[in-house]
Amino acid sequence: MASSDPSEESVSAAELSTLVQETEFFRSLVENGSDAILSVDENSTILYANRSVERVFGYDPEEMIGERLTMIMPERFHGRHFDAVDRYLETGDRQLDWSSIQLPAEHADGHEIPLSITFEEHSYDGERVFSGIIRDVSERVARQEELERQNERLEEFAGIVSHDLREPLQTAQATLAVARAGDEEALDELEAVFDRMETLIDDVLALAKQGRAVGETESVALGEAAEAAWSTTCREGATLSVESAPTVSADPERLRALLENLFRNAVEHGGPEVTVRLGTLEGRPGFFVADDGDGLGATDPERLFDYGYTTDEGGTGFGLSIVADIARAHGWAVAAGDSDQGGARFEVTTA
Amino acid sequence: MSGDGTDDRPVVLAVDDEPRVAQAFALWLGDDYEVFTATGGEEALELMDDGIDLVLLDRHMPGLSGDEVLQRIREAGYGCKVAMVTAVDPDFDIVELPFDDYVSKPVDGSSLADTVERLLAVRRYDDRMAELYTTTRTIAALESEKSPASLEDSEEYAALLDRRATLQGELDELMASMDADEVRELFELLDT
Repeated sequence: MASSDPSEESVSAAELSTLVQETEFFRSLVENGSDAILSVDENSTILYANRSVERVFGYDPEEMIGERLTMIMPERFHGRHFDAVDRYLETGDRQLDWSSIQLPAEHADGHEIPLSITFEEHSYDGERVFSGIIRDVSERVARQEELERQNERLEEFAGIVSHDLREPLQTAQATLAVARAGDEEALDELEAVFDRMETLIDDVLALAKQGRAVGETESVALGEAAEAAWSTTCREGATLSVESAPTVSADPERLRALLENLFRNAVEHGGPEVTVRLGTLEGRPGFFVADDGDGLGATDPERLFDYGYTTDEGGTGFGLSIVADIARAHGWAVAAGDSDQGGARFEVTTA
Repeated sequence: MSGDGTDDRPVVLAVDDEPRVAQAFALWLGDDYEVFTATGGEEALELMDDGIDLVLLDRHMPGLSGDEVLQRIREAGYGCKVAMVTAVDPDFDIVELPFDDYVSKPVDGSSLADTVERLLAVRRYDDRMAELYTTTRTIAALESEKSPASLEDSEEYAALLDRRATLQGELDELMASMDADEVRELFELLDT
């Protein structure tokens, strides 16, 4: 890059060229860096924004220059921001640690984004300038939340499993003691107790599987998925009526598990002659599964989807929590209520 | 129900919605205690009376839950001890529950018998301690008001002194009857 001319003048030109190129190098580094960089003056007016601000905040850099920094702050922080700046300018006290602080910002479209910000004061042209290097940590935050949710789930899960295994274990022990004391017929009951434990283990495994994120989604004809799910859950006397069925974008295997659990719930609680209806939601994408049984009655709709919540002695209370897990994994919402026919109605909103 | 006077063994009520569990508790405790069983909360409350010394109470039951039964037993003012015997993992909410002991299922015959024995020892101790306190206060009140001569003549006063001596003896005996491990355990528990 330096010229090969050995004269003094040329050396100095080469130095100049290096300087210019280095400046260009840093300009380009700042401009194209993956982190957003913003500089503001003492009045929080934006002096500089690099190109990455568009990716992070949704604004063109040109749109931001000359605006107040509050344009990317959620309103609840505005007052505190100006107080902190005033205090810093007056006293030099930093309200916050300036390195890697976590703060939410407001995107151009209005949603909040979690940021990690490191900022520094420097002077330029005799003015005090504050520059921040800003990283969007949405993914990290989402991952962390997911981990916390999973931990909570695991803890809850361990509690339920230990309860649900200890209970039949106690019954088995008691039954054995009664049999040993002479009532040999009690032994016959042990089989049912062991069945209960086995069902629980199967359900626990199913639940552990359903907690995973969804695999590849594809367009699934809900009507066909429903018929398939019904074939494994129906009981004599029970009827499935598919009124209308949309096509949904889903992991087919998981969708079938969701439907199976909703159907099983309807068949178990809806009485021997239950009719289960499946149809499209009105006004929003999604579908419902309704039955003509007794409805939710005294069932607590808040707890309905909790692990291990059941009103049925023989149930493990995992079925509807599996439904909720699969729905959540697809980004769907599921709600329970009473149907027009007086039975229970579950609505799955798919967007 | 329990006050028929034909049996002076302590009375235990075992409550569990699994009939075999309640039955096994009765079997395990039947040699040393008079045991009644109930397979639901409502039935348990119907069987409650002042003759019951100890209730073994399941928490998860259809209908009236064990927690509710416990509250009602306390509200009704029965003096019995209550041990929750349950597969429900204890959570912080149990501090609100006025039970005397919390036992996790599954429980076998010998550990159940230990629990019952310990709680009944505490109950006897409590009862005698309360009576000793009252007796001692009554004696003190009389002694401050009456002349030594009139005290000497009083049959009531003599009976009080006898009762106090008996209670003190029984309390000493109760302490001695708990085996060393139990006493240590109890005091370690109380110490923390």
